Amino acid sequence: MNRFRWFYHPIFIFVFSIVALAASLFLYIYWYIEVSAGLQAVVAKHHLDPDQFFEAQTWVVILVLSILVGIILIGVFLIFIYNQRTLQLYQTQRNFINSFTHELKTPVTSLRLYLDTFAKYELSREDQIKYIEFMIQDVDRLLNNITRIMNLAKLESRSYRNEFMESDLVQTVQRFCKANSGLFRNCEISIHNPAGTPFPYRINPTLFDIFLMNILTNAVRYNASDVPRVDIRFLPEKKRLKVQFEDNGIGIEKSEVKKIFRKFYRPGPANDLTARGSGLGLYMVQQIAKIHKGEVSAQSEGTGKGSVITLTLPLRLQPAG
Amino acid sequence: MRDSGKKRILVIEDDTHIAEGLRLNLSFKGYDVKISPDGVSGIRDWKEWKPELIVLDIMLPGIDGLTVLRNIRLEDERLPILIVSARGEIEDRIKGLSWGVDDYLAKPFNLDEFLLRVERLLTRSSWGHEEGASAGVPAESIYKFGKNVIDFENFTAVCSCGEVTMTEQEVKLLKLFIANRGKALSRSELLEMGWGYTGATPTRTVDNFIVRFRKYFEDNPHEPVFFRSLRSVGYIFDHDS
Repeated sequence: MNRFRWFYHPIFIFVFSIVALAASLFLYIYWYIEVSAGLQAVVAKHHLDPDQFFEAQTWVVILVLSILVGIILIGVFLIFIYNQRTLQLYQTQRNFINSFTHELKTPVTSLRLYLDTFAKYELSREDQIKYIEFMIQDVDRLLNNITRIMNLAKLESRSYRNEFMESDLVQTVQRFCKANSGLFRNCEISIHNPAGTPFPYRINPTLFDIFLMNILTNAVRYNASDVPRVDIRFLPEKKRLKVQFEDNGIGIEKSEVKKIFRKFYRPGPANDLTARGSGLGLYMVQQIAKIHKGEVSAQSEGTGKGSVITLTLPLRLQPAG
Repeated sequence: MRDSGKKRILVIEDDTHIAEGLRLNLSFKGYDVKISPDGVSGIRDWKEWKPELIVLDIMLPGIDGLTVLRNIRLEDERLPILIVSARGEIEDRIKGLSWGVDDYLAKPFNLDEFLLRVERLLTRSSWGHEEGASAGVPAESIYKFGKNVIDFENFTAVCSCGEVTMTEQEVKLLKLFIANRGKALSRSELLEMGWGYTGATPTRTVDNFIVRFRKYFEDNPHEPVFFRSLRSVGYIFDHDS
């Protein structure tokens, strides 16, 4: 069975169609010339006026045929590209489902395990409280996963239009870090604002929190340093404001720097079983940046050398007075 | 059961809650349990602690569970290994079983089922020991690639430069490469699995071994076919057929 798999391969079909098309074009023209040569012979034989029949037409026919074949060729090419894209999307979606199932199943497994244990054994009150705490955390993990999917759906349906408010970015970041200090307990997060001025922007607080959460958890999760460190810098330029998130994490492979913002994208081979994220975090980061009329980009010196995620926003003129 | 008579079970699982839950239940059953949170430390603990059974997760950070399984099976064909994984599809089970796992349990699982399977695996492996066979039977003693034939039992290799005798460390590293055939291995992965170093030990030890391997096994050591370097990654071992 496997021996004939190449037969169904899209690239084979594509090349085969092009060869077939080229061959048919050649044959059309060849036969046409052949037939007209035959006709010409007949015309000459019967002493008819040759101009009446072909001369002018031959090249027109060849031209028309070539154009038609050209159009078919473009069509085949487009279908091939669309097909490749669909396959790619299918693959990434499968990746996503696989990893997301893992993220859902893990807390469920843990919950199930502790519930079974509680049903089976009489535990001391102290242990009970410890494991109930575990179960509460597992429920939170499940809820987080569900919220992430809901947020993604919300983000894509663009149903957040009227939830913007004016606030200072520096303060927002500070408030976020303070509110989530429990999550980043063993890390050093420092905020630098050398200009010392506030940067008021119209932001969507819910989305902006997701934005910060995704960037910071990535910086901490993909980090092999003893103390994960993140430096957040506000760097105003002439027409833009750059917000840099620099970490001392595992860095990003040069070839991956652009790809990591794609939906469902995860670095490494598709069948890699080492547990990693869902491929949504940075996609959402990019989408949220776009909604705020900004852009995100990533820079890294390579693996093991940390990475910098930069949010670039148009610099807003300070309100007069 | 006396403390010394306790059977040792190694749980290689990255999720702290599940690992702790398994530890709790297995120790209720009177087993001595150790937890390794990732593949590299799992392999190290298997070598140092010598457990009688391993409970293995597949999706692990760093080195995945199936690679851990292949590494162990290179040196020990008998050690009972139970995979507990969220990936329960038939292809995943078949993959695991074909690489020599003894049992496969899909997450989420029933606690009693898990405990019974563990008990059963341990009982069965104890029969094997009674027959007098020692643990640690190598999977294959002869391995061939290209023109090279390696005899793991006698630590010798027949290659283009004639017959060479290999050191224990060379054999270990070679087995590691074979277990991870076609997969890029970083220097630190090789160090941690092959030597048991922790952390990023800055050493050219691995490179020296590669130089030796190339001298032994490559037709032209300057244009390696089997032991190729991957820039900024490490090394990859592969061959045809």
